[in-house]
Amino acid sequence: MKMSEDISRRTFFKRTTAAGLLGALAATGLNKPVQAAGLSNGKLGTLIDLTKCDGCKNYKTPLCVEACGKHNQERFPEPQKPLKKYWPQDKVEDWSNKRDLKTRLTPYNWTFVDHVKVKHNGAEQDVYVPRRCMHCDNPTCAKLCPFSAITKDPSGAVSIDDGVCFGGAKCRDVCPWGIPQRQAGVGIYLDIAPDLAGGGVMYKCDMCVDLLAEGKKPACVSTCPKGAISIGPREDVRTLAYKKAEEIKGYVYGDKENGGTSTFYISAVPFEAIDAAIKADKASKKDTAPGRPGMPINVENYLSTGKGMLLSAVMAPFAGAAVAGITAYRTIKGDKAKRIQNNPNDQGGESNDGKEHE
Amino acid sequence: MAKNTNNPKQSKILRQNLANRFVHWTTALSVFLLIITGLGQLPLYTRYNVTKLPGAEWLGDYFITINLHYMGALGLLFAASFHSVYALARREFDIFPRKGDMKESYQIIKAMFTKGKEPASDKYLAEQRVAYLFIGLSLLLLIVTGLIKTLKNVPGVELSHSLLYWNTALHNIGTGLIIFGVVGHLAAFLLKENRPLLPGMFTGSINREYVKHRHSLWYAKLLRNGEINEVNLDVSQTKSSEVDFIREKEKQSDIGNSSSV
Repeated sequence: MKMSEDISRRTFFKRTTAAGLLGALAATGLNKPVQAAGLSNGKLGTLIDLTKCDGCKNYKTPLCVEACGKHNQERFPEPQKPLKKYWPQDKVEDWSNKRDLKTRLTPYNWTFVDHVKVKHNGAEQDVYVPRRCMHCDNPTCAKLCPFSAITKDPSGAVSIDDGVCFGGAKCRDVCPWGIPQRQAGVGIYLDIAPDLAGGGVMYKCDMCVDLLAEGKKPACVSTCPKGAISIGPREDVRTLAYKKAEEIKGYVYGDKENGGTSTFYISAVPFEAIDAAIKADKASKKDTAPGRPGMPINVENYLSTGKGMLLSAVMAPFAGAAVAGITAYRTIKGDKAKRIQNNPNDQGGESNDGKEHE
Repeated sequence: MAKNTNNPKQSKILRQNLANRFVHWTTALSVFLLIITGLGQLPLYTRYNVTKLPGAEWLGDYFITINLHYMGALGLLFAASFHSVYALARREFDIFPRKGDMKESYQIIKAMFTKGKEPASDKYLAEQRVAYLFIGLSLLLLIVTGLIKTLKNVPGVELSHSLLYWNTALHNIGTGLIIFGVVGHLAAFLLKENRPLLPGMFTGSINREYVKHRHSLWYAKLLRNGEINEVNLDVSQTKSSEVDFIREKEKQSDIGNSSSV
C-alpha cells in the first residue's frame, strides 16, 4: 500500500508508542523522551498568558503562527486536483489556494492569534488570544472518530493520523471549539470511492508531539518573544495558572472546559466577555465558516454520561440472564404440568424420548 | 384449554413460544435501532442530505444517535443473554447448527428452484440454522467490540491505540455483516415456500399440514413426545366436522322450520 510506504517518522513514533501500550489500560509514563528537556514523563500542560501576549503587533505574522507553519510545512496537504464535490452536496472544502491565510485555523494554519476588543471595568482593551487544539483529557474527537484515526499520547497530545482519516469532519462537529479543519483531495478516501464518500483529511495542532519525543518544546512555545506560552508537567502548570490568576484577580480557561484540557489560559478580563466579543465580531463580519472558535465557559463534555452507560451495559446481560432463568424454570414446570394434564400417567419426568407415552 | 398448548384438534402447531418471540422481536428492534443510529455515527446522514427530510434532523446529531445506540445495545444485550440462558436451561438447541448443514442448505435451495424433493427437516431448516450461526456470530462480534468502545468512551479511560484501531475496524466490519444477515433473513420471505413460517413469529403457531410436510422430522418428534397426536390431524376434516356441528345445532334450534337447510 502506498500509505505504509511513505510512513512518516511521526507516524512511526505514534504507532510504536501505541503498540507498546498493548493491554486494556494504557500505562502512562512508559516513555521518557521529554525528560531530557526537564519536563516530566507524564502528562504535560501548556499555559497561555493573555496578559503577556500582544499578538506580535510589530511583526507581519505572530511568531508562534509562523513557527508552527514552518515546523509543519512538510505535513501540509498537497491535494490532487481537480477536486470532486462532496456528492450529493454542491460543495468541497478547499484551503489550498489560501495557504497564506493566518487569521484563522485552516488545514495550512494550525494556530492563529485572535484579536478582539473587550470592555472591562469601564475601559476598552485589546485582547490577543492564541488559538489551537486544547488537547482535551477526554477528547471527544478521538473517542468518537469512526475509524479511530485520532490518538492521544501519554503526554496528553492529541493527533490525527492523516493515513487513516477519511475526512468526514465528525471530529470538528463534536469538538466544542470546532478545531480540526478539512482539506479535500488528500487521504485514503481517494483510494476507495472519492466520487461517493469521504471528504479529505482533517488537520490540527498535535502539540509538536515529534519535538516532545526528542525532549524539545513545541515550536510555538520556544518562539514566543514574550514568554506568553509555556509548557511543563500538567499539575505544575495548573497550580501556576491558578496562582497567577489570583495575583492579577483574573480568570482561568481550559481547566474545566470539555471535562478538562491540557491548555490553561489566564486572563485579566473574564472569558465570558472574550467569548461574547468573538461572537459579536464574527456576526459583524458574517463569518460562519469553521476555524474561528469561541470560548464557551464550562462547556460540557458530551461523553460525561459514558460511565452510566457502561454500567448499564454491564448490568443488562445479568438482567437478561436472571429473567431468562426465572422464565425457563417456570416454563419447564409448566411443561411438566401440561404433560400430566395431557397424559395422567406421566409422572412429569424430564424424559424427552417420549417412550412412556407409547 | 391452557394457552400455548398444542391442541390436537386444531390445525395449528405452536412453533415459537412467548419467550422465543420476545427474544426475536427485542433483538430485531434493537438491531434495527443500532443499525440506524450506528450509521449515524459515520457522518452519513448530513452528507447525503437525509437530515433534510422532514423529522430526520435528529439523525445528524451525534450525541442523540450515540445515546440511542446505547439504548439499542442494552436491548440487544438483554435479549442475547436471555436467549443464551433460556436455551441452556431448557436444553433447546434446535436452532444450533449441525454437521452437514451447508450441504443440506444447498439441497433445500436447489429443491425450491427445481421443484425437486427437499431433504426432511427438523424444527428448523438447515439454512435457518446456518443463518442463525451467521447472525449470532456477527452479533457476538458487535457486542464484544461495542462493549470495548463503550469502555473507551468512559471519561478517564485510555485504551491502547492499536487495540482501539482494530476494535473499531472489527465493529465496522460487524456492521456490514449484520446488515447482510438481516437483508438475507428478510429476503428468505421473498420465496413463497418459506412464507407459512411467518405467523410463527407473530401468533406463535404455524399450519399443521405445513409442519407435517416440510418439517417432517420435527412433526414426528412432536408425535413421539406426545405433544400432538394423530387424532383429527387433517385440516379439511377438522373444518368439515365443525361445519357438521354447526349444522346440527342449527337444526336443533330451528325445529319445525322446514325451510332451514
